[in-house]
Amino acid sequence: MSMPTMKLLRTAALGGVLALGLSACGETSQVPVYKDGKYSGKADTRPWESAEFKGDKAAWEAALKNRARGQNEYNRGD
Amino acid sequence: MLTKKSSAATGSARRLRGSAARALGQTMDRRAFLKRSGLGVGAGAIATQLPYNLIGAAEAAAPGVSRGEGKADVRRTVCTHCSVGCATDAIVRNGVWVHQEPVFDSPINLGAHCAKGASLREHGHGEHRLKYPMKLVDGKYQKISWEQALNEVGDRLLKIREESGPDAVYWIGSSKHSNEQAYLLRKFVSFWGTNNCDHQARICHSTTVAGVANTWGYGAMTNSYNDMQFSKAALYIGSNAAEAHPVSMLHMLHAKENGCKMIVVDPRFTRTAAKADQYVRIRSGTDIPFIWGMLYHIFKNGWEDQKYIDDRVFGLEKVKEEIMTWTPERVQEVTGIPEEQVFKVAQTLAMNRPSTVVWCMGQTQHTVGNANVRAMCILQLVLGNVGVSGGGTNIFRGHDNVQGATDVGPNPDSLPGYYGLAAGSWKHWCRVWGVDYEWVKSRYASEALMTKSGITVSRWIDGVTENKELIDQPSNLRAVVYWGHAPNSQTRGAEMVEAMKQLDTLVVIDPYPSATASMAAMVRKDGVYLLPACTQFETTGSATASNRSIQWREKVIEPLFESKPDHTIMYAFAKKFGWGDELVKNIKLEKDAQGWDEPNIEDILREINRGTWTIGYSGQSPERLKLHMQNMHTFDVKTLKAAGGPCDGEYFGLPWPCYGNPEMKHPGTPNLYDTSKHVMDGGGNFRANFGVEKDGVSLLAAEGSASKGADLQMGYPEFDHTLLKKLGWWDELTDAEKAEAEGKNWKTDLSGGIIRVAMKNHGCHPFGNARARALVWNFPDPVPLHREPIYSPRPDLVAKYPTHDDKAKFWRLPTLYKSLQEKVKDISRDYPLIMTSGRLVEYEGGGEETRSNPWLAELQQEMFAEVNPKDANDAGFRNGDYIWVESPTKAKLKVRAQVTQRVAPGTVFLPFHFSGWWQGQDMLKYYPEGAAPIVRGEAVNTATTYGYDPVTMMQETKTTLCRVSKA
Amino acid sequence: MGRMKFLCDAERCIECNGCVTACKNEHEVPWGVNRRRVVTMNDGVPGERSISVACMHCSDAPCMAVCPTNCFYKTEEGVVLHDKDQCIGCGYCFYACPFGAPQFPNGPAAFGARGKMDKCTFCAGGPEETGSQAEYEKYGSNRLAQGKLPLCAEMCSTKALLAGDANVVADIFRERVLRRGGGTDAWGWQTAYGGGEQKREQKREREGQK
Repeated sequence: MSMPTMKLLRTAALGGVLALGLSACGETSQVPVYKDGKYSGKADTRPWESAEFKGDKAAWEAALKNRARGQNEYNRGD
Repeated sequence: MLTKKSSAATGSARRLRGSAARALGQTMDRRAFLKRSGLGVGAGAIATQLPYNLIGAAEAAAPGVSRGEGKADVRRTVCTHCSVGCATDAIVRNGVWVHQEPVFDSPINLGAHCAKGASLREHGHGEHRLKYPMKLVDGKYQKISWEQALNEVGDRLLKIREESGPDAVYWIGSSKHSNEQAYLLRKFVSFWGTNNCDHQARICHSTTVAGVANTWGYGAMTNSYNDMQFSKAALYIGSNAAEAHPVSMLHMLHAKENGCKMIVVDPRFTRTAAKADQYVRIRSGTDIPFIWGMLYHIFKNGWEDQKYIDDRVFGLEKVKEEIMTWTPERVQEVTGIPEEQVFKVAQTLAMNRPSTVVWCMGQTQHTVGNANVRAMCILQLVLGNVGVSGGGTNIFRGHDNVQGATDVGPNPDSLPGYYGLAAGSWKHWCRVWGVDYEWVKSRYASEALMTKSGITVSRWIDGVTENKELIDQPSNLRAVVYWGHAPNSQTRGAEMVEAMKQLDTLVVIDPYPSATASMAAMVRKDGVYLLPACTQFETTGSATASNRSIQWREKVIEPLFESKPDHTIMYAFAKKFGWGDELVKNIKLEKDAQGWDEPNIEDILREINRGTWTIGYSGQSPERLKLHMQNMHTFDVKTLKAAGGPCDGEYFGLPWPCYGNPEMKHPGTPNLYDTSKHVMDGGGNFRANFGVEKDGVSLLAAEGSASKGADLQMGYPEFDHTLLKKLGWWDELTDAEKAEAEGKNWKTDLSGGIIRVAMKNHGCHPFGNARARALVWNFPDPVPLHREPIYSPRPDLVAKYPTHDDKAKFWRLPTLYKSLQEKVKDISRDYPLIMTSGRLVEYEGGGEETRSNPWLAELQQEMFAEVNPKDANDAGFRNGDYIWVESPTKAKLKVRAQVTQRVAPGTVFLPFHFSGWWQGQDMLKYYPEGAAPIVRGEAVNTATTYGYDPVTMMQETKTTLCRVSKA
Repeated sequence: MGRMKFLCDAERCIECNGCVTACKNEHEVPWGVNRRRVVTMNDGVPGERSISVACMHCSDAPCMAVCPTNCFYKTEEGVVLHDKDQCIGCGYCFYACPFGAPQFPNGPAAFGARGKMDKCTFCAGGPEETGSQAEYEKYGSNRLAQGKLPLCAEMCSTKALLAGDANVVADIFRERVLRRGGGTDAWGWQTAYGGGEQKREQKREREGQK
């Protein structure tokens, strides 16, 4: 996508949101939809797409689970 | 991308700032400099070659941290802010400490940190550090070179030594030194020729060390933070662990979750009290009546452990006589605590065994400190709680290595390992050091001064100002070296500046200029030197946590700015003084990046191992300690014992005593005096250190009360060559061991053979098996007695419970008790409120280091005093007002009033970590430029009064008097 | 993986501020900006309890609902983030947030831009390239992408502050509550369900905690 087009699209999207906001008192949907590398139009990658995990979601979830264990000292005995 | 006006402006503003900064040459950040110069070496090395203005103010503000470039190294270190010993992983990139990660594997802290521990990485910024040597010239600090500093300081000290003798210089060492540095400093001071050295332990737990060691053998925490998970009840008296040892609360709250009853006794409703099941408010300084009050109920109800007492305790009958005079009415009259509360606490401890006790400065820092702690020991002995997992006396030490510095560091009354100062002790250490005893003796002014305890840090000011005729040494003190110690932790600050004024030379060796620099510059024009030492994150070495576990720190970063490790500075001065070679006879020297000679830390530890048999610092070789640091996950959190792995069967950090040489593989001792375990599994019994009988009564333990599996199942004396021969065990020594052990005892046999045969072959304890002494006959009050503080709020009770008689020569100084108490008996008419002090979680010790850390400083921005609403209303001020707190010394502190019910009417609490204000004035201008701490405030000890423990010279900080008024 | 949540166990929080400095440390949060803070109730009297508060990463986030530029977004893990390039620093989210989480840095160097809202990111960075210098300077570090949890919780001195998958956090907390015996002591429980806390308070009073 060329830069000017992207800019145009974004401006349009923002305009749309603003219009919506005025009409519906800001009650936008809060269900996250991740599409084309964006959340609600904001470019962000998902955590498992980082250099560390390279898209391996299962590995990322395992890492997080392991990390969570550190918060529970009962894991190290009663 | 959509850029808005505002963000564009921000961007250009940032660029503008950057170029302006470059033009001014002010804000070159060290990381940027490194990147640009393309040098891959340690940042500190480069920084030291830069003029200061290039590594100045903007350093801490350097935007972000370069995360993606360069290889990240993980260095495991241990927090330097308290004695819990929390491990942390430092992530280092291009020599810069970029990141701090929790060490979940640590059995001590399981990744947890308090505010101080979670902000350790700020040490890698160090913006407010003392950056290079400085000298006071005409009232202002000026930069000088290290060469000039070493020469000028060295020459001045040598001149004083020449004119007034070696005892005219006072060396204040540090509990923040590693074991190796603390040990080297004691050796250093000995070669200088004096016992005039001390460190924070004097004003922290000296009364504990003396009182507890004289009761049962070793003056240390008997169990561990971890072991408290086994406790069914815990009594905190004079400890605010939630602020002073926050991570210890992880173990306590875990225990509480599993049914442990937690009790807090304190004049103040602390954050620890907020977590307790029972809180009891006590009048400051009346611990003994409260403890006797509990024991009264224990004896009345037959809750004592009679078998334990019969088998393992000496002299309790005499103590019981005193206890039974403390009727509930009398207890209430003195302590203010009603009978039902005292009963409830006693009952809880008795009915929920094993029960433990915790104490800190609230017990120790009193004119009755040694008696307080002995009363606590007696309580635990009566309940049969000592030498028991879940019981014990859990004495929480203060600084990260105050235990280690007490064990092997600069103490005025002992050589490393509590060997004392007798000629035999000197000969033992001279053999270890590889120097001639006669030479060391020649360094001292006389043999008498060589074997006489030095002045204590709590009294150095009197060593300067006291009448020369009344001092028990040839000269007054003329120079003081503050080597890693704050001045505002000592009492009588108002008199301290007078002492500072009178000195010939004052030297500060510290990562921060400390309050010493500003106090000195306030009253002097010259004769003050500041030398930058680096922190423990910029060097390596071991530290002993409160539970006696020893942990190894890896070096995280190179020393910042021009700072040097303390041991490197010690060697530099030793060279200057002419005995560099003697200091490092067994220690390799290595060149650092700037070509300085650095004594090898591991070699120093090996020398400690070779000499410190008494307390079992002999088995913890650097290799064993490092193995523990790498295999933390294999240790059990409750028992600290490794199950499997390379450290199988050992206890984490080889908690001392770890007897014998490293090859004997003693596992360390998790709980002292525990007869349920074999001595080779960390078991033990009470120490035979006071003879075998007293007044016809045996001091040895009863038949059948020895440690598990011991060949001698009765009480027995300590081991020496004759006992070994009598028992017929002598031939179990090798020929080489025999040659060394002949004529020696277990403490002086450098082969370790006596210990090996006693422990490994026969399961016996080398220090014998004796009774704990409820009656410490060699102390001023063999039975702990209540005595009112010198500045008592109760003149009516002073007559009933007067303090001791004055002492003419006590740690080389005349010391006042009764004469002063009489003089100020009615002073509470003018100063009606109890003034007490304590800690805040955000700061540590004198506080200059932590108040220089913006992440911490932001959380406590002002010195304050807690005052009860009643007293505030009576004095006519409100919450948030500035008030004056004035003590009987006439010193006045200007602080913010925090009006709160945390304190009872009649008590004013002040936190102690502040300095940098002097009786209403900000001392900013007296600090070296750019090196003042961010937060400054009145030091409580500017106003504290006279009063010392009659055994250890511990200062009274917890009970004095004051009055408050609106400022 | 479910939703990311914080939970602060008031029976364990000792107001040590470890979480606060861990956050400062991890993100180099400037003076005056507090993504996390510890709040104490009944300070200095029996019943004193503290909890550590930051952005709660609400499921139905009021900040998100009211933002006029719609700068917020929510990730699949339930983390509420925002785009500082779209933020106009109006402070409407500050009105809406029940926890006072949004911060408005004043200094030019504070997280990207003067006046832009700043808040806890659950250590998940923001809408810039993951792990980049730009992400760090604007939003702070991205631990989630490194497979780690927020440092405040990971470093909590008493493991009072928990973070992570709501189910996992709930499991950890539930075990403790069961061991304590009877009800939960989580702050806010009585507001939601009433009763228990007050009863325990009276019990404590009876036990002499006066």
